[in-house]
Amino acid sequence: MTERVRIRVDDVEYEVDAGRTVLQALDDCGALFPERDGKRPEQTDALIPHYCWHPKLSIDGSCRLCQVEVRAGADAPPKLAIACNTPVSEGLVVDTKSETVAAARQGVMELLLINHPLDCPICDQAGECKLQDYAYTHGVDHARTREPRRKAKKRVDLGPTIVFDQERCILCRRCVRFCREVTGTGELGVFDRGDRSVLETFPDEPLDNAYSMNVADICPVGALTTKDFRFKMRVWFLEDVDGICTGCSRGCNVHIGVAKNAVQRYLPRRNDAVNGTWMCDDGRLSYHEIAREDRLTTCLVREQAIGEDSPQLRPASLDEAVAAVAARLRPLLDAKGPGVIAGIASAHASNEDLRAFKTFLDVLDVDTIGLAVARGDSDDLLVEAEKGANGAGARAVGFGALAPVADRIRGGGIEALIVLGHDLFADGSLDARALAGLDTVVAFDTHRSPVERVAHVVFPVRHAAEKDASYTNSAGIVQPVQRAVVPGPEVRDEGDFLQRIGAALGLAGFETETETEAESKAGDGAE
Amino acid sequence: MQKVPFTTGYLTAHCGDDAYGTLDGYKAEGGYETARRVLKKGTPEDLIETLKASGLQGRGGASFIAGQKWSFMPGAEDDTGPRYLVCNADESEPGSFKDRLLLERAPHLLLEGILLAAFAIRAEKTFLYVRGEYGEAIRVLTRAIEEARAGKVLGPRALGSRFAHDVVLVRGAGAYICGEETGLLESLEGKKGQPRKKPPYPAENGVFGRPTTVNNVETLCHVPHIVEKGADWFRGIGTAESPGNTLFGVSGHVVRPGLYELPLGTPLDEIVFEHAGGVAGGRKLKAVIPGGLSMAVLPAGQVDVPMANEFLRERQTALGTGGIIVMDDTTCMVRVACIITHFFREESCGQCTQCREGTGWMNRIVSRIERGEGRFEDLALLKDVCAKMEGKTICAFADAAAWPVQGLLRHFPQDFQSHVTHGQCPYPGSFVLA
Amino acid sequence: MIGETLRARIDAEIARFPVKRGGLLGALHIVQEGQGCVSLAASKELAAIFDVFPVEVIELVRFYNFFHESPRGRHQVYVCTNLPCALRGANVLLKGLEQHLGVGVGETTADGRVHLGREECLGACANAPMIRVGGVYHEDLDLAGACAVLDALE
Repeated sequence: MTERVRIRVDDVEYEVDAGRTVLQALDDCGALFPERDGKRPEQTDALIPHYCWHPKLSIDGSCRLCQVEVRAGADAPPKLAIACNTPVSEGLVVDTKSETVAAARQGVMELLLINHPLDCPICDQAGECKLQDYAYTHGVDHARTREPRRKAKKRVDLGPTIVFDQERCILCRRCVRFCREVTGTGELGVFDRGDRSVLETFPDEPLDNAYSMNVADICPVGALTTKDFRFKMRVWFLEDVDGICTGCSRGCNVHIGVAKNAVQRYLPRRNDAVNGTWMCDDGRLSYHEIAREDRLTTCLVREQAIGEDSPQLRPASLDEAVAAVAARLRPLLDAKGPGVIAGIASAHASNEDLRAFKTFLDVLDVDTIGLAVARGDSDDLLVEAEKGANGAGARAVGFGALAPVADRIRGGGIEALIVLGHDLFADGSLDARALAGLDTVVAFDTHRSPVERVAHVVFPVRHAAEKDASYTNSAGIVQPVQRAVVPGPEVRDEGDFLQRIGAALGLAGFETETETEAESKAGDGAE
Repeated sequence: MQKVPFTTGYLTAHCGDDAYGTLDGYKAEGGYETARRVLKKGTPEDLIETLKASGLQGRGGASFIAGQKWSFMPGAEDDTGPRYLVCNADESEPGSFKDRLLLERAPHLLLEGILLAAFAIRAEKTFLYVRGEYGEAIRVLTRAIEEARAGKVLGPRALGSRFAHDVVLVRGAGAYICGEETGLLESLEGKKGQPRKKPPYPAENGVFGRPTTVNNVETLCHVPHIVEKGADWFRGIGTAESPGNTLFGVSGHVVRPGLYELPLGTPLDEIVFEHAGGVAGGRKLKAVIPGGLSMAVLPAGQVDVPMANEFLRERQTALGTGGIIVMDDTTCMVRVACIITHFFREESCGQCTQCREGTGWMNRIVSRIERGEGRFEDLALLKDVCAKMEGKTICAFADAAAWPVQGLLRHFPQDFQSHVTHGQCPYPGSFVLA
Repeated sequence: MIGETLRARIDAEIARFPVKRGGLLGALHIVQEGQGCVSLAASKELAAIFDVFPVEVIELVRFYNFFHESPRGRHQVYVCTNLPCALRGANVLLKGLEQHLGVGVGETTADGRVHLGREECLGACANAPMIRVGGVYHEDLDLAGACAVLDALE
């Protein structure tokens, strides 16, 4: 076990691991970023302000903003030192509020601003800029410079995702360390020295890696901004909602930035057990799928048999779609029993919906069940091969491999299929031809997908950002999400649709609820 | 080859002799005998004790007790891997040119000092980092190291002892900050010479991750003499707190610029007026920078001070590298400030906020005053910028940038005020800027 | 391209250090002396040799005064203009050399013969003013003496 030592910061005593520095130790015990008013930690003042230090990067020690007065013991003389690099020791006393500390911080802030363009009105970082924040809380209230400010490159296209403003850069080198230590791509460096120092890439080469947009998150100022969010809106119009990225089974935690009932961006939300402070660019940009044109917004039904010239699915009302399912399944059940029905779950469905699906299948007595999941590239950092946030959740509920289900379908033993999500064909064990002979295919999906080519009824379901629910990541961690945006009125949870279908089928324990009741039930799910 | 005039003492006694730069010539003067004896029969512990007893202060600018620095190194019980000696020959402090003389004229004295220091700290290798501009020194040292290897002075059995040692000559590439000891270590590792935050300190984690001691050229050149003649002998020279001779480099407006090997504690006015022959052209003395550009200036009325830190401290300056820059009464102190601030702006490594931004700001303020566009409040502003830089950064560079400006403002505010009042330089005969 | 000869020298440089990267500064000297500069292409080759990111090599080239990305003149002449030299007329000398060569500081003569620069203290304070031509110091100069030194360069 790690040795513990006691340190005192201002008037609070902390017991922390030996071998850590003051900033690390305060971060370890959650004291560095006191959360306030439900804001992101990044939006609140740190107990000890800092720029170059970042919990997931090596210690740089150069911005000097985290200077505090430290004493080896209560009676020792105070010494000005940077908190990021001062090792904790038994009895260490840290003063973050003395006049000396205030003056030192003020010095750093004034000097950081003498060459800053002060273009806050048109800067996209405004509202979540640490330079603004700390200038306000720790800086001086007037400029004493008469000299022209440094001119440097503006609007530098750094690569596919990032735009760089060299004049705003405070040379904290977080981005440089990120690209060297985290992604191992090393695109960025600081050239020249003294006050000519500038952040650059290798001449004419881009900043281009799978995690590049994280540099905009860790940039404490408006120097690095993402092309995706740049000038989209002022951040103070955004509401932050806790969510997760559904791109893969890592389940990176995100802050969902919401305005006008639309998701405007994902930012990684720190969770040291899941994603640390990072997320991949693909995942970050995946929020675009929420309001994409191919979102399903109504139920769809097909009236004729599937064939070469079968008519398209047509929009239908909820009642019509539910009735259509019942009309197809009831005779089948009566004639052949549940043995000819199969249920396939998806890694995109929430734990709540997966449980509802399993209950529905159990009550029907369907035992041909499996999980369809897409697989893709993975890396050593965060990206996992299983594409979907809840494969682990589906397996925990009881949905196993797809192969036995596929075998039975191809063997002709199945006549009806109820399928969640759009990964039915992902592993290649099933295709449209294999399903063409089925009597009934009922699909639940967020988006239009190849599944609808074989589906008789399609129900439009909610995206993870549209519901209070939970997802279980590959490490078995159950992660709650909150509803960030409200989808169209006909888009519902899988569980809600299944409830209605069960009632229409006359299954025990399934009753039709009013819409209001269903809504309130969905709301309770998060608690 | 350096043409600098110099007066001699024990350090430089033979520096006028061309043969002294060769292995044979050095041996002819008894060279390497001390190291041979110590390497064969001495112990590192005794050597460190001798150095500590001598009170030798490092001659690289910080005056840290050399023996104490050696004692920070892990002892014999630590056998986890190699440890290194680094010789700092990156002399770049404006006004300093003493190490250059030793490098060019006494390479074997340095190598003997290196052997002794390496033995004391149990280093298997020395990295001798020479400033890249010192072309002649690099040629001389390259030859001397080759001679020393051929003559088995260096090698697996250095001087016939069981101590193995080699010296690796490394060429700097033009960056003043590499004279800072951890900046130097970074540069040795093939990186930008940006000083390291401490902890860790070099004695625990120095170059290539190993325990390392960094010593200045002149410091190491003292070592063979101290070991040969004893700590008491050394203590008998100089002052109680600052023993030994040092090489004072005198430049600027003097009759005989040069290097003067004199005991620490020699009065500054004696050096300027007697050894260096006084102010050139019959002009009057205005000011003296006593220890290289980083140290605060002294006005003419305060040069009656012994050149040792315990006395210079009282006048808010320090010995630094002993580079004495003399300025006559034509000299405009605002122009001096322009040169000083330009230098530190040019050479700041750029990592710490206060230094990167402060050096540039000071230079722009001072240049503005020099152009006649200053304001009276600029003097207070300059002092305040100095205060915001001093003691708050990774290394002492920011202090070194602040101290000389503080000194000029302390002693010559009238030069700055006059520029503000009249909008021009009051010294028509002053040296010119670029 | 870093040819075989330079590569052999670089390998020898690497062998002097316990860690490969220790040889990088020396390798930059070798390349610059061999090719007149450290081009972007050479930086990439060095990065591959030393297992570092290419941008790290450029960082060094831009940090250290000695290295430059494009060739300067055949002879590089630097005038020390720090305080001890300035007190003894270094800037007058520099202006005279600018006139004599017909170029400004940081420029190279049209024939590519001489690059003129200024430098911070070169450690020749008692022999001011002075100039450095490559690795050779010329001290105790007046303008005529300095011009003579430059005129004698090929």
